[in-house]
Amino acid sequence: MTRLLSLISSVIAIGVAIVVLVGLLSGAEVFAGTTNLLLQLAVMTVAVTILIGIINLLGIHLRRILGRQRGWVYSIVLVLSTLLVLVLWLTDADAENMALLEGVQVSIESALAGLLLFALVYGAYRLMHQRVTWAAMLFTVALLIILIGAVPLREVQVLAEIRAWLLAVPVSAGARGILLGIALATVVTGIRVLIGQERSYRE
Amino acid sequence: MDSSIQVITTVIIVFALAVTVIATQVARRRRESFPLRPLPAYDAMPQIVGAAIEADRPMMVSFGNAGLGGNSTLLTLASAELFYQVAQRAAAGTVSPILAVSDTSAIPLGYGTLRRAYQSRGRIERYKGSGVRWFPSGNRSLAFASALTATMSSDQVSGNVLVGSHGMEMALILDASMRRRLASVAASDQLEGQAVAWALSERPLIGEEMFVAGAYLGDSATQLGSVIALDTLRGVLIVGIVIATALLVSDPVVDAINRIIGGGR
Repeated sequence: MTRLLSLISSVIAIGVAIVVLVGLLSGAEVFAGTTNLLLQLAVMTVAVTILIGIINLLGIHLRRILGRQRGWVYSIVLVLSTLLVLVLWLTDADAENMALLEGVQVSIESALAGLLLFALVYGAYRLMHQRVTWAAMLFTVALLIILIGAVPLREVQVLAEIRAWLLAVPVSAGARGILLGIALATVVTGIRVLIGQERSYRE
Repeated sequence: MDSSIQVITTVIIVFALAVTVIATQVARRRRESFPLRPLPAYDAMPQIVGAAIEADRPMMVSFGNAGLGGNSTLLTLASAELFYQVAQRAAAGTVSPILAVSDTSAIPLGYGTLRRAYQSRGRIERYKGSGVRWFPSGNRSLAFASALTATMSSDQVSGNVLVGSHGMEMALILDASMRRRLASVAASDQLEGQAVAWALSERPLIGEEMFVAGAYLGDSATQLGSVIALDTLRGVLIVGIVIATALLVSDPVVDAINRIIGGGR
């Protein structure tokens, strides 16, 4: 029975993948309708998963509260916040909802964004402290040049030029290399799905 | 879609398909002929999971913003394979690994992957759905990062595997991980996230290395075939870039040589 289900799911996945791929690549009218229908089905399925997400979130935190697990007080705050937002949404209290979003979430996220730089620089320092390798040293030197080069002072004009060159040539080349690597791996993974080698729906 | 783009895309897909099919067959027949180059992150993975089992603490795997149905669909499948390998090993212990996702479409995939991992070990009775957790990401994923940092403390996480789509916010997670002296493996398809992963992670992965977890941690010949196909395609791309560059610079170089030989006439 499991094998049969696995076979059916494989046939559906591969079939849908081929139809959508051919539809998108050829642009033929014959496939256009089917392709659009399948893509709309995918969008609707993804929309349903938001409900799964909310159930998941509340389920985990309610379990934590009932079991008095570590951090259960924070879970109470989360559940109450969720209920408050739901009530505000149901009562069409958009102004209060926006005030809550602007006043709480945006402020906290902005504060965290401010901490990012310190986390990054301190983390790099600590990494160098733990293990000094040529790559870590190169990283630190490049980081210092980029940070100092961004200072608008005439005395560090040379560093500003080096910074501009670093960003335009090695950083750009490295970034493109990484993106090309990811693109190739994405193509190979896509092919694996097409030929039924992907485990996630096969088993 | 532009017709030239259609043709180029079709050629790339057909070529990649041919290479992958051939490489898979070759890997099945002559597996020993293709040793994998060592990657410290994957080499250390069994020890990291083993340490988590011994300490009776969970491993945490994060996909970040990666989800199904968008640009990161295939990355999500690759990350799910890595999670499967981690969960399969962790299934030997008593504590389930934690999967953190911020895209809701990855939740069903996470449940399925965790269940399969326990099933493959014959320990399905120990499977707990609470291992998969959704943390809404907010505008800049910083809420997601802070939730993961809190989870590290509340669940006494033993090690972190952050492989998926993470941005700069990964710095907060990895900083917290370093402060707690936890093992960390990290990589991202976003350049900012990848840079942070390289700088702050104990064992970073880079780019396409995220996609080969099955070959390194599993024993499937088809996964090894994918690595061979990837290496072949990379080689072809490099040759293509070198030839294109040579053609671009050849005329100015030939002109310069002619000028030198001709004495500048």
